[in-house]
Amino acid sequence: MTSEQQLFDETPLRRFEYDDTVVLAADVGPAADASVDVVDGTVIVVADGHQHEQEIPAGDARAFMNHGVLTIELSEEEGDN
Amino acid sequence: MRLTVKPLKQKDAGRGLAAIDRAAMDELDLENGDYIVLEGKQDSRAVARVWPGYPEDEGNGIVRIDGQLRQEANVGIDDHVNIEKADVNPATSVTVALPQNLRVRGNVGPMIRNNLSGQAVTQGQTVPVSFGLGPLSSMSGQKIPLKIAETEPSGTVVVTDSTDIQVSEMPAEQVHSGEGAPEARDTPDVTYEDIGGLDRELEQVREMIELPMRHPELFQQLGIEPPKGVLLHGPPGTGKTLMAKAVANEIDAYFTTISGPEIMSKYYGESEEQLREIFDEASENSPAIVFIDEIDSIAPKRGETQGDVERRVVAQLLSLMDGLEERGQVIVIGATNRVDAIDPALRRGGRFDREIEIGVPDKEGRKEILQVHTRGMPLSEKIDIENYAENTHGFVGADLASLTKESAMNALRRIRPELDLESDEIDAEVLERLEISDTDFREAMKGIEPSALREVFVEVPDVTWDSVGGLEDTKERLRETIQWPLEYEDVFESMDLEAAKGVLMYGPPGTGKTLLAKAVANEAQSNFISVKGPELLNKFVGESEKGVREVFSKARENAPTVVFFDEIDSIAGERGGGTTDSGVGERVVSQLLTELDGIEEMENVVVVATTNRPDLIDDALLRPGRLDRHVHVPVPDEDARRAIFQVHTRNKPLADGVDLDELARRTDGYVGADIEAVAREASMAATREFINSVDPEEIGDSVSNVRVTMDHFEHALEEVGPSVTEETRERYEEIEQRFDRAEPGVADESTASRTFQ
Repeated sequence: MTSEQQLFDETPLRRFEYDDTVVLAADVGPAADASVDVVDGTVIVVADGHQHEQEIPAGDARAFMNHGVLTIELSEEEGDN
Repeated sequence: MRLTVKPLKQKDAGRGLAAIDRAAMDELDLENGDYIVLEGKQDSRAVARVWPGYPEDEGNGIVRIDGQLRQEANVGIDDHVNIEKADVNPATSVTVALPQNLRVRGNVGPMIRNNLSGQAVTQGQTVPVSFGLGPLSSMSGQKIPLKIAETEPSGTVVVTDSTDIQVSEMPAEQVHSGEGAPEARDTPDVTYEDIGGLDRELEQVREMIELPMRHPELFQQLGIEPPKGVLLHGPPGTGKTLMAKAVANEIDAYFTTISGPEIMSKYYGESEEQLREIFDEASENSPAIVFIDEIDSIAPKRGETQGDVERRVVAQLLSLMDGLEERGQVIVIGATNRVDAIDPALRRGGRFDREIEIGVPDKEGRKEILQVHTRGMPLSEKIDIENYAENTHGFVGADLASLTKESAMNALRRIRPELDLESDEIDAEVLERLEISDTDFREAMKGIEPSALREVFVEVPDVTWDSVGGLEDTKERLRETIQWPLEYEDVFESMDLEAAKGVLMYGPPGTGKTLLAKAVANEAQSNFISVKGPELLNKFVGESEKGVREVFSKARENAPTVVFFDEIDSIAGERGGGTTDSGVGERVVSQLLTELDGIEEMENVVVVATTNRPDLIDDALLRPGRLDRHVHVPVPDEDARRAIFQVHTRNKPLADGVDLDELARRTDGYVGADIEAVAREASMAATREFINSVDPEEIGDSVSNVRVTMDHFEHALEEVGPSVTEETRERYEEIEQRFDRAEPGVADESTASRTFQ
């Protein structure tokens, strides 16, 4: 099932748990000038001049921002925190 | 690719997102955030961004979109929709048309661009835009419908920061709707996403109504008649009407409502005829839904009505719903909050096949409802919806709606001085600055009480466990009984332990029983109903018992609840004595007994009762399963007295010489109330001395030097004597022993009327 975390200020970060991966997704709005980067187990999101950091477990992680939808994919072994 | 449409979760709604299941996403080569075009019936198109599909949908070919998109694409739930990756170009210029009644001054272009930026639009599409709380806030939606009049280049475009936004001279109403624009419909504008916390109930209603309408062949195959009536019942404000509206909107059926008083006519037979006409009209336009709001007004029990008309209307309704004539594809939804007032003949299969109770929402439900209502609001970042969901026990949807509305009004009040009410239009800048802060929400919380509890609601007192001095054992036992079952539900479940149903606190007057109850009310995180025994009594036969019944039914509806009976001996005296009051007292006791341990479960309702005459209370009430915990609130010992002194002198300016240990030692036999009186008397003495000795003009300057000294306490001790004698204390200890043996039945009759003081 999915649960909700309040991570990036008012933007809820939704957690989707699939069989093999965990996907975290947030909609910062299509207008936002936002970008995302993964550095050493930390996801750094820059949106509208604010920077948010989110620790993720070490391991295979992929993050991208597409039309305001932030996606972080974690592989299952380490992703289950 | 064709996918099945399902509703989106409330929290994802309203953002133009489409959750597509992962298998389909791979097949279409889509990534989260990509634009897609949904093609529904009659070439209706909608544009959405891809959102991760829900894990439970994986591989089922499901796309979840909200009501707004469903309407744009002209599809309903469980319909199929064609999905394609959209090829969108950045727009160089977009012309929008505002609704005629929107009166905003200034250049709204940048604001609209901010709102639309990143959204994909097509010509003729209507886009809801949140302007904060505009002059339209009185309208049902918080969003303003903008119409896209023209785009450059044409086709589906995405608005970017460099797009030029033009406001059309022509109001939106006159712009010719291009392809894909939803037509104005008669049905109400509520979608499934606008209903929070009623997923299970909604599922039931849909199963009853949508399934037979969409796939009547299923029922033919099974050889049964599809169900044709649903009765929704529950407390006012829980969303019965809203649900009917949403169903009507979503399944695109002919929808007609009957409101009781409207069909009544003074002419003989005309009321029934009106009813017949409505059903005729519905069956001509079938599939159709006939919605009867407040059905108790036109279908009361026939045996109990006075007038002849009501009886005939009920009979007409009965035969319309299940008479000789086939009703066809006409489904009747009834809504009422007094389900027991309806004629029993209506409540059977074939008429109202299913009764669905719509209850007071729980925490999750409240959160969803708050999310629905705050969706279009400019909320401050500090507002924690979860927290408000937790602290609104007993609030129904309507209460939560008025909570959000009231907090928005507070925000409005803040900027009102800047508004020029004389001018026709409001500055766009001011609109943009409107934001609802946490303070607005908290202020609004104070003014709103749960409507279901309004008659019995009491302001929860501001007393915490800390304000109770001493009594550690008692506090611990109360915490176990009342707080634990709510806080550690899992533990209780795995231990197969049922929460205690009631606590009886007894002890000499002034030992702090009521204070403890107040602390319980405050700390228990539950609703609190306080019942003062004598006020239940009524001069009419049967009304007093009804009072008890109502208290408990309210408590059940609004669980978790603590029901507090102060001085319970006044209404739960021993039965069987020589009665002089025609047995009202006895019947009240019996009612209380059955409520506490009857066939109806008391889910999450705890009764707290206090008395200083436990021996006068009916034995049956004291057995396990009813008031099963008996807590003796004893006369405080020395340690407890010191703690009580500490509580009462906490904020008093004490001189250095005041020795609380000494005071505690010298106050044997003093109860909490006495000690409070001592502390008060001592302060009063100090105040008296000060005011008499100081020049009135200097009082303000020297008040900070006043101290309460030991002498003042000496004086107070002379004034206030102990209220408990040795004899009384012994009596209570005797009673405690008797209760400890768990045999309340052995109380001998002869001592029952002796007083203790």
